[in-house]
Amino acid sequence: MKAPALPANSLRVAWAMAERSIKLIPRVPSTFFPSLIMPIFLVVSFGGQFAGLALLPGFPTDQILNWFIPMATLQGAAFAGITTGLGVARDLENGFFDRFLLSPARRGALVAGPLIGGVLRGFLPLILLTFVTIFSAATVSGGLLGWITYYVAALGMALAAGAWAFGLAIRFKTMQVAPLMQTGLFLAVFLSTAQMPLELIGGWLHDVARFNPMTNVLALAREGFLGEVTWADTWPGLVSLAGMAAFLIVFAARGMRKIIP
Amino acid sequence: MTLTHIKATGLVRRFGEIEAVAGIDLEVAAGEVFGFLGPNGAGKSTTVRMLTTLLRPTEGTAQVAGHDVVQDADDVRRSIGVALQDAAIDPLMTGRELLALQAVLHGIGRHRSAERSQQLLHTVGLTKAADRRVGTYSGGMRRRLDLALALVHEPIVLFLDEPTTGLDPNSRVALWEEVRKLNRDFGTTVFLTTQYLEEADQLAGRIAIIDDGKIVADGAPARLKAEVGEPSLRVALPPGADEAAAEAVLLPYGDRVADGKGYVTIRLAGGASKVGMVSRALDDAGIEIEGLELHVPTLDDVFQKATGRRLEGAEEAPAEMEEVG
Repeated sequence: MKAPALPANSLRVAWAMAERSIKLIPRVPSTFFPSLIMPIFLVVSFGGQFAGLALLPGFPTDQILNWFIPMATLQGAAFAGITTGLGVARDLENGFFDRFLLSPARRGALVAGPLIGGVLRGFLPLILLTFVTIFSAATVSGGLLGWITYYVAALGMALAAGAWAFGLAIRFKTMQVAPLMQTGLFLAVFLSTAQMPLELIGGWLHDVARFNPMTNVLALAREGFLGEVTWADTWPGLVSLAGMAAFLIVFAARGMRKIIP
Repeated sequence: MTLTHIKATGLVRRFGEIEAVAGIDLEVAAGEVFGFLGPNGAGKSTTVRMLTTLLRPTEGTAQVAGHDVVQDADDVRRSIGVALQDAAIDPLMTGRELLALQAVLHGIGRHRSAERSQQLLHTVGLTKAADRRVGTYSGGMRRRLDLALALVHEPIVLFLDEPTTGLDPNSRVALWEEVRKLNRDFGTTVFLTTQYLEEADQLAGRIAIIDDGKIVADGAPARLKAEVGEPSLRVALPPGADEAAAEAVLLPYGDRVADGKGYVTIRLAGGASKVGMVSRALDDAGIEIEGLELHVPTLDDVFQKATGRRLEGAEEAPAEMEEVG
């Protein structure tokens, strides 16, 4: 018997891992369910309870769904990313991830695979919320560009959350890290302009929200819902999203390097 | 000159204050089935994890298939197949899906992968179950699938970490046969860790016994057992029998060993082949007996000689105490 000389193809490996992550959705629907239910719950709950906000002077829209649908979508996409991290934690806990580590595949491909899977999973809540937007009182006045910024923000969020969850999973190697994954996400989202515009937030929360990159990412997702899309309003969101994703991908990759030569 | 496929020198692994592997040296020749025997927590799995690149050694060096496990980890990974303890297989995937994934991980093309999967499924007898989720497989089926997964890329060195733990006797014997076939037909070098004495005895041409992170005995099973001493023969006498008369008949065949009342036990100087002669001598002398038990030294005796205690799980292997009378 002879071992093959060919190194494993990184793209094929990453895609195979992502494909597995998608295939497992119908096999363990319970793990994916929150990323579909949560955004709908947020839209219904926040849209109903905070409907009066739209009447406040300085509130950027008179239709509360235009404010909360993009926020709920980012939450759903982030949850989708986190479920991929949870999948990695499950694989590490039961030893299945050793199979990946024992292969000659590049370590980068082993990080990229689950992250691509997370982005693909992010499409599901995004598509669901797209239908909610179309069939509700919400309007995307920014047109095609508005839809594009909304999709970019949501999928970028799935990527960043997936990298966050992967980084934690690879360090803790147990499903018990799940609450930490969610806590990080909730802190990032709710210490931003998730519920109120920056101008209407007071005290230290205003300062935190101002410097929280999530504020710019939310602005990117909401741009088309609140008016025309302009480059001046778009680039801070893109930079924040790219910075957040890059930082968290490095966090994930460094975790991988720590566990294996 | 014999080609060495696994070589470890002064291998140490510490986890904080705990020294799981305390400086082991070992060499496994190409084509050899090497048994790594020891109780739970002795350092077997930690050693395998270092040799298979899953764990960085704290000290020492190791080469597998000619590649350093730290410096050339990818080359090592290309050369080895590994079936780890507890058959870490995703229960949500099917056998065929897992084989396809394993093939991608090892850079095998789609066409070759399908062909190879089919061939391996046939080899391990899982063709019919190939499209069922692994969660529905029995323990034996999982182990066979794990073995198939380890072989997808035709490795030159195969690591099997406690491959039959938890299996029923039939599945265990079937897996042993697969391992023998691999070694015989393809010359695959096999590094097998086990806590089952019989498994090491049945499969391995050479074994090392590890205890408390150190190798305490190393050699061919037959040689190690021979070093423990001669087999012993225990004669059970009926109540009221003349023990001295029985002893007089038995002593020409070996020295008496201390035993309980109603028994005469001797160390059989000429080996197990003398049992027939002893039996006839007792019969000729008209000594009535209740039974004869031959005890051939086992690897557990080897372990006991080296460490002063019995190996956990030793009782799970069939005892080599044979009723002959």
